[in-house]
Amino acid sequence: MAEPTSRDPQNVVDIDSQRARKDPIVELREIRRSFGGLQALSNVSLSLYPGEIVGLLGENGAGKSTLVKILTGVLEPDGGQILVDGSVQRISNPRIARELGIAATYQEPAVFPDLDVAENVFAGRQPTRRGIVNWGEMYEKTDEIFSEIGIKLDSHTPVYHLGIADRQLIEIAKSLISGARVLILDEPTSVLSSREVDSLFALLNSLRDRGISLIFVSHKLDEVTALTDRVVVLRDGAFIAERPTSEVTISQLIHMMVGREISDLYPSLTRNAGDVVFEASHLSRPGYFQDVSFTLRKGEILGLAGLVGAGRTELAEAIFGISPPVSGTMTLDGLPYVAKSPRQAVQCGIAYLPEDRLANGLVMGMRVPYNMTMTVWSRLANKLGRFRTRFMQRQASDLAKRVQLQAGRLNQLTSSLSGGNQQKVVLGKWLATEPRILILDEPTHGIDVGTKSEVLGIVAELANSGVSVIFISSELEEVRAMSTRLLVMREGRIVAEFETPIEPHVILEAASGVVSGRVS
Amino acid sequence: MAPPRTALQQFFGRSVFKRSDTALLALVVIITLIAAATLGDFRTLSNINNLLNTTALIAIVAIGEAVVILARQIDLSVGAILGICAYVVGELSGHFSGALGPIMGVVMALGFGAAFGVGNAFLVSVLKMPAIIATLATLSIYTGFQIILNNGSQLYLTQVPPWLAGLRGNAWFGIGTFIWIAVICLVVVTFLLRRTRFGRDVYALGSNPDAAAYLGVRVRLRIFQIFALCGALAGLGGMLYTSQFGNVDATAGSGMNLTVIAAAVVGGVSLFGGSGTAANAVLGALLLGEIQNILELTRISIFAEQTLQGASIVIAVAIYAVVSRRLRRPVRRQSIDVDVGHDAALAVETSGE
Amino acid sequence: MSSVRWLLVRWEVGLIALILLVLVLGQAADHDLLSSFNLQTTALNSAVLLCLAFGVTPVIMTSDIDLSVVGILALSGVVMGYLFLHGVNTWLAIAVGMVIALVCGLINGLLVVLFDLPALAVTLGTMGAYTGGSFLILKGLAITTFPSVVVTLGSANFLNTQIPIVVVVLGVIGIIMTYLLHGTVFGRSVFAIGGNRKAALFSGIPVNRVRIMTFVISGFLAGFAGLLFLGNYQTAQAGMGASELLPAITAVILGGVSAYGGTGTVPGVVLAAILLALLQSALGLHGFSGEGQTMAIGFLLIIAIGIPPLVRTYQDWNRRRRSPVPRFASAGPSNGEEGM
Repeated sequence: MAEPTSRDPQNVVDIDSQRARKDPIVELREIRRSFGGLQALSNVSLSLYPGEIVGLLGENGAGKSTLVKILTGVLEPDGGQILVDGSVQRISNPRIARELGIAATYQEPAVFPDLDVAENVFAGRQPTRRGIVNWGEMYEKTDEIFSEIGIKLDSHTPVYHLGIADRQLIEIAKSLISGARVLILDEPTSVLSSREVDSLFALLNSLRDRGISLIFVSHKLDEVTALTDRVVVLRDGAFIAERPTSEVTISQLIHMMVGREISDLYPSLTRNAGDVVFEASHLSRPGYFQDVSFTLRKGEILGLAGLVGAGRTELAEAIFGISPPVSGTMTLDGLPYVAKSPRQAVQCGIAYLPEDRLANGLVMGMRVPYNMTMTVWSRLANKLGRFRTRFMQRQASDLAKRVQLQAGRLNQLTSSLSGGNQQKVVLGKWLATEPRILILDEPTHGIDVGTKSEVLGIVAELANSGVSVIFISSELEEVRAMSTRLLVMREGRIVAEFETPIEPHVILEAASGVVSGRVS
Repeated sequence: MAPPRTALQQFFGRSVFKRSDTALLALVVIITLIAAATLGDFRTLSNINNLLNTTALIAIVAIGEAVVILARQIDLSVGAILGICAYVVGELSGHFSGALGPIMGVVMALGFGAAFGVGNAFLVSVLKMPAIIATLATLSIYTGFQIILNNGSQLYLTQVPPWLAGLRGNAWFGIGTFIWIAVICLVVVTFLLRRTRFGRDVYALGSNPDAAAYLGVRVRLRIFQIFALCGALAGLGGMLYTSQFGNVDATAGSGMNLTVIAAAVVGGVSLFGGSGTAANAVLGALLLGEIQNILELTRISIFAEQTLQGASIVIAVAIYAVVSRRLRRPVRRQSIDVDVGHDAALAVETSGE
Repeated sequence: MSSVRWLLVRWEVGLIALILLVLVLGQAADHDLLSSFNLQTTALNSAVLLCLAFGVTPVIMTSDIDLSVVGILALSGVVMGYLFLHGVNTWLAIAVGMVIALVCGLINGLLVVLFDLPALAVTLGTMGAYTGGSFLILKGLAITTFPSVVVTLGSANFLNTQIPIVVVVLGVIGIIMTYLLHGTVFGRSVFAIGGNRKAALFSGIPVNRVRIMTFVISGFLAGFAGLLFLGNYQTAQAGMGASELLPAITAVILGGVSAYGGTGTVPGVVLAAILLALLQSALGLHGFSGEGQTMAIGFLLIIAIGIPPLVRTYQDWNRRRRSPVPRFASAGPSNGEEGM
């Protein structure tokens, strides 16, 4: 069990006074960054001191990953300064960040599966003796650092044998070997089991004790409060607050993350849910989700909330036939439903807007009308098999009107559209199938405010006209405003069901596993 | 802690003798024993000599090809490089007398071979052509050179300097020179792959090219070195070819491309890159060479060669794909466990708020 | 009109320009280039190349590759020749050859798609296997007599014109392929799969079915190419046609089909094949041997693949020079919008 040393009041005092004596390793001053029309970070300042674990909190879109990318040299800020050891630096690429001692590990660790653990740890900097790779030293040093920080891995194992938790450990050891003083962990626990989380936290604590500065980016507030020394909260690209972890409660954190603005962003929903259209019973896919059962009614918007890694996308992919469930049953209009491929799902009237529209939703090299009608191409052929281009253009322009895509944008290459317009094309593509069930996975991810409200308006209209919607979103405000009924998933199971309207902090608590002081 | 390691393992590292390698070696030994026992023609000294020499030649070129495949590339032009160097070495090394002859011969073989390899590397690295298409193009270009060199006729055994002509028959300490050369190549390349940054970068490039570039591997340099090494070994094979076959014409080496790839792949080098050793290439050459020899002797068909090689590539790739999918841990959590103990502890911590 | 579309249109125009260039220079150098006899010979000699190119085009468009087409050509050609030799009914023999070609293509498709093996490795292997099959059947023999139907198909002219039958036949095949790839749902699916296989799959396109079909088409046309080979060269030998692999792939890539799939046109491939054929003819008239011509094709392939990335790099450099915005170093949606 990880011992939360930061919680002891005496230690808190010690850490504060310790920190007061030390200078920050990295200072971010008034960092600004925007993409197109979207201001991702506005005047964010942050200092990182040696020997502490900082929790970086914020909802999707708050600016966390942009900040991380700026620290690691993947992006450069539009304004503001970065100081390392007191002097201004320009981190224009990842190599410079590494040289300055800033390292990061992500959910999917970048390793060499065919090579063994020691070589992965020493990737790019194998110890040599007179030009010859010194395996003995490599294994020894790896074993040394493993025992120093408490990792129990055999340095001779080929990495393809290892699961993701161990690969993360390798990445962490690798950054230590390369002299990292600042280590950023981006959502490391969303793919770990709770036992693996404990081991990881023990490791992070020992790193902290060695003087490393750690940034722990996570949605999991229970973990953040257990592990970190202080927390920094971002919201909508701005710095909101910084507190010693011992002085905040989770509900306070949620309050800071979510804010109190009520926006006209969201359409009003009509609540006239009809009969049950779809029912899932005890769906399971080991490793991803377990024993999921729910019903879906005609015309309702069923929100599906939860933290990253809770299994929502996997559930959606199971319903849509991409990775069918291993056990459990589904019915559609009372009849058994099985889909072994997306094609079958589409034929049954189910549509799925995937989370990553670039990788999974659009063919960038094609023009908009083709992307917009891709799901119904087979209907565009005449009896001889000819692809009726003009008919397609008409379909596409009808769809464009339905998704409020300006006519001027119609015959362009899809790659030249903005993110918001691209998402409209994907939405249009699915509307073309006249679905009965529409599953949306993070539909407003990475699009500007104006387009967001248009898209959400279309979704509300669809529900009103009888389409059943499953709305997956990690944005609390959004999922609560857009659902007539809300399910919360955590670690692969459905843990709560709410009728909306409901307070956002209740949702987050259910998603994090803490509900008003009682275990859920 | 890890079990104590034998001296051999310590020198080469852990992965020289994997389970599949032992199985292949056993297969080769078994086939040899069966063939020796049942086929009279197999046992003759001249057949064994022939077999060993041809196998050694293929093995040398296959080792070079293996290095390229390990880096997730491919080289279809090795046969042509071999053929050109066969001619060049045969023709030119006669101008050097005495001990200078063999020395210059080897230098020319390696040098010209490497030069052609650099040509391949240029296309792949600078022009960013996929290796398969680049080496398909250079195959035709180099074959063209080969034909121009031969200029309608061929190089005759009589034109080849005596040291080269006799190489196939020579033996040092009882073992044929070809074998020695093959062993030297094996040792050298294994050392390079296992003990130098170059070699480790080869594996890194094959295992995860994006991460390799990100972590500071000098990709461009390595690509040049890899293709140059492959070309050099093909050139060396060309020199041996001249010794083995005597007459070198414009078709020298033309069947080699498929053969060496098959040898490497069957021996255990993964076509996906990142996995395999030089010893694999040698094992594969042994196995395929033997089977080919037996097919010839039993008159089953001399003409089965290409089918054999082609089918074995397909089978090897399929087996590797199936096995590696079984073997590799899916990069996802294996179990969702609602650990009651963990949650209870949390409740204790948070209830105080 | 966006720049990529413009480039593509320019590509075919560029090909036409090159063809004219070769015609002008070639005719100036050796006055026989444009003679009807030479044009006929050129057309006959490039029939096999074009037929193979037609078959390989859809495969490359889905971002797969099929190296085994020459093996299928050899195998079905040898089988047909063998059957002809043994007095089997001509049409039956042809049917058998074509069925074998279809089956070979199907095997390729099943291995690559159902077993999820890399197309490069598989077709490298099946190329050897199929070519080897031709060796097993015919061994060292060469067949030189063929039914008149076949010879007519491969060498004679259409009715009373100066145009060889193969040109007409290939023209028909070309029209069918153009229609298939540019005018049907199947063709659109091919482009979608080449552009983004996952997006196509998620959109309900029957990706596996389409990919297997491309291999079958490739096999079928390779078999037909074998028939044309027999008719033109009137020789059946084990391993025949092996030298046509490079020109066929060059014609496809030179024709504008990206090696990574998703773009290209059939007319572009036709133009590229014409260009290659004329180039070979011009070089041949000027004293280049067959191998010299092949070398030239190799160089052409390098240039064809090397140019688009260089052009793109130049365009990027130009764009950056004109508007110095801090560029991001890597991964992120290319249109620059991000959340979080």
